[in-house]
Amino acid sequence: MENDTLPKLLRTSARRFGNKIALREKDLGIWQNITWQDYFERSKYFGLGLLRLGFQKKDKVSILSENNPEWLYGDLGTQAVGGIVVGIYPTNVASQVEYIMSHSQSKFVVVGDQEQTDKVLEVRDNLPELKKIIVIDMKGLRKYRTSLIISFDEVMELGKELDKREPGLFEKLVDETVPDDVALMVYTSGTTGKPKGAMISHRNAIASAKNFLAATPLKENDSIVSYLPLCHVAERSFSVFYPLVVGGITVNFAESINTVQENIREIAPTVFFAVPRIWEKMQSSHVMRMRDATWLKRVVDRWCLKKERYIWEKEAKREKISLFLRFLKFFCHVIHAYPLQKHFGLNKVIYAYAGGAPTPPEVFIFFWSLGIPIRNLYGSTECTGICSVHQGDDIRLGTTGPLAPGVELKIAPDGELIFKTEGVFQGYYRDPEATAKAIKDGWYYSGDVGELTEDGHLKITDRKKDIIITSGGKNISPQEIENEFKASPYIKDAVVIGDGRKYLTALILIEYDNVGKWAEDKHIAYTTFKDLSQKPEVFELVSEITKEVNKKFARVETIKKFTILDKELDQDDDELTATQKVRRKIVEEKYKTLIDKMYR
Amino acid sequence: MSSTTREERDGCPEGEVSSEHQLVVDGLTLSFGGIRVLDNVGFYVNRGEIFSIIGPNGAGKTSIFNCLSGHYVPQKGSMVFEERELLHLSPSKRAALGMARTFQNIELFRNMTVLDNIMLGRHRFLKSGVFSGGYFWGKTIREEIDNRLEAERIIDFLEIESIRKKTVGELPYGLQKRVELGRALAMAPKILLLDEPAAGMNLEETEDIVRFILDINEEFGTTIVLIEHDLRVVMDISSRIICIDFGEKIAEGLPEEIQSDAKVIEAYFGEEMRS
Repeated sequence: MENDTLPKLLRTSARRFGNKIALREKDLGIWQNITWQDYFERSKYFGLGLLRLGFQKKDKVSILSENNPEWLYGDLGTQAVGGIVVGIYPTNVASQVEYIMSHSQSKFVVVGDQEQTDKVLEVRDNLPELKKIIVIDMKGLRKYRTSLIISFDEVMELGKELDKREPGLFEKLVDETVPDDVALMVYTSGTTGKPKGAMISHRNAIASAKNFLAATPLKENDSIVSYLPLCHVAERSFSVFYPLVVGGITVNFAESINTVQENIREIAPTVFFAVPRIWEKMQSSHVMRMRDATWLKRVVDRWCLKKERYIWEKEAKREKISLFLRFLKFFCHVIHAYPLQKHFGLNKVIYAYAGGAPTPPEVFIFFWSLGIPIRNLYGSTECTGICSVHQGDDIRLGTTGPLAPGVELKIAPDGELIFKTEGVFQGYYRDPEATAKAIKDGWYYSGDVGELTEDGHLKITDRKKDIIITSGGKNISPQEIENEFKASPYIKDAVVIGDGRKYLTALILIEYDNVGKWAEDKHIAYTTFKDLSQKPEVFELVSEITKEVNKKFARVETIKKFTILDKELDQDDDELTATQKVRRKIVEEKYKTLIDKMYR
Repeated sequence: MSSTTREERDGCPEGEVSSEHQLVVDGLTLSFGGIRVLDNVGFYVNRGEIFSIIGPNGAGKTSIFNCLSGHYVPQKGSMVFEERELLHLSPSKRAALGMARTFQNIELFRNMTVLDNIMLGRHRFLKSGVFSGGYFWGKTIREEIDNRLEAERIIDFLEIESIRKKTVGELPYGLQKRVELGRALAMAPKILLLDEPAAGMNLEETEDIVRFILDINEEFGTTIVLIEHDLRVVMDISSRIICIDFGEKIAEGLPEEIQSDAKVIEAYFGEEMRS
């Protein structure tokens, strides 16, 4: 029996691990265990239930839900009976849900709760192919009298009956899955244009997982917290692909989105993946907490951080650490680093990762100093995740590590990175034109610009289309400058402008909570975000930060003027992607008058 | 609430509402000295419905609740809940019959956690004695576990997991209101008296609380009597409404009828507005 598809891997794991814990979910305040056998059986019943509802091979099943075990049952159950899973961000609005569901021609959709159901019902008239809405949490839906709705449990019951009638059916279906079948489609958030559905086969998923695991070997008893959107290839890898390929990893689901931080603390995972935004937030929460702390704590914190950083930098350069320094390190660990690790819930972490966007160096150093080993990784949906990652103790600031085993790289004359791995996807669904542009002879054209350092680390400069060429003809990567801004706890986002212009400017978005707190400390009265953002004192604050940032760059790369936005950027206004990245073009268009003012 | 929700609801028959009168109030009269607060007010509430009491400030709406829950003793009238006369029952006995309420101004224990406040709502289900309670032993432990489970179900239902262990006093107003609703729910009531649940809330908080009220009504079949000033909320979710003005009932009927009732409009907007 070969383990060449994800459902086959699940079956093998269920046989191998049986009553070992595969998933954990906090329900009614208590962590509930789900064994590998349960995981397999529930996926099986769901898959068979789909058959009873008229599902046919190659049908698409969308999943629109927060992370929970049912997401995974839906995912693997669908794949096992030969279907294709399409994940949709729970934060997407109805029109975006409609686009993805109709473009992918989904026949079924698994939704989390009433809120998500309402989104689908709102646009169901435009979804003629939709057969059933399968609802995980039926709360508030009992009075909806549409025959479209069925509960997740009912589907499993249907599957159970079918299994009793035809015991061998599911096994047969699992055997029939082949590696080159498309297993899932990931709609890329895309900072421009409509989302595109990247088709990923079982082979892609498994190969990419193996590449990743060869670079950073996760182990059987590791545990992971699943909290980022599962429709994104990164969280899917950590919550589904890696646990299946390694076997025996426990995946934990938070109680609700609001309790993630607390739940991470309870679980203390050994493997933790976060986007830089979350790492930034953790760091800035520490900074803000220290601001409220007593005088003594502040002094100790500052002193320890300084020492820890000094020692880490020495270690990173592989310099000899004297006995005294070793003692100092231990001392700082006991009184400072360890309590902080515990506070973040990262005291047991062996592998921590940051990916999806560049990590600001300050944040990177902060966590390494505390002994939380963040590894940058770089990957893309179209490569089914991983391309490069920091491996072993070969850690370098500002890079995303060496290429993962099994990944080949070419760099085009214009700096574009081109990859070849077994993970390169099958093409965009119903979009041969975009596919032809992205894949040529098995090589994937990433659209990212970067370089390999002398010692083989990959360094990403920016998105190709985002590179700013000033009217002076200078090529500038806005991302690097924006990251320096984002390292400040007061700044949430910065958008650097300057393409075809004489000098660089920036749109600044303040971090409401932190700037609000700062204003309270300074006795500056404010009412709303809009009010706060336009205070002259806040302008002063941002000016200071800009000065600091400018010190780190050459003269042509400095920000000459900036404007503070008086509203938060919002996904609902199309200004952010579902992964909270700024849609540069849309923001530039929307705030054109503000921008033009800065060039007057 | 999105428009879809209402559409979906409208299409369905109100299955759980029966025509059985769960609560019948008749000739309720209450005076404080020379001031007549309620004057011969009478109405009935059907099992499983959402029944609203509206009226201008000081009309006597909350006084009706206070009579029902036993805080005030009316001079005249009768209140029959599930065929039992409430008039001479103590508030705790009324609670034991399956009546729970929330207050206009939050009446939670500010220095206790959310969980403890909700657990307090389970008080009437605690039966174990002084000894086992004092030593936390035997029956007490089993009771504690059962009641904690119920409390957790309510926490899950009201989506307040993240504040479970927080002290109530430090929570924002909208959440405190939700916790108070949780405490009332913990009593597993057959009828729930809600006194201005959406007062002082912003639009989003109002939408949330309305969704919870609907869910409670649907999920547990709890009858709901609602006092509310936000007329959009009232018109949107009530099956029947009465309007009180100066202690007298001036109108009773379906939301559409109340909306176009001349006396109600007069009570709210004054005489001139009608022309």
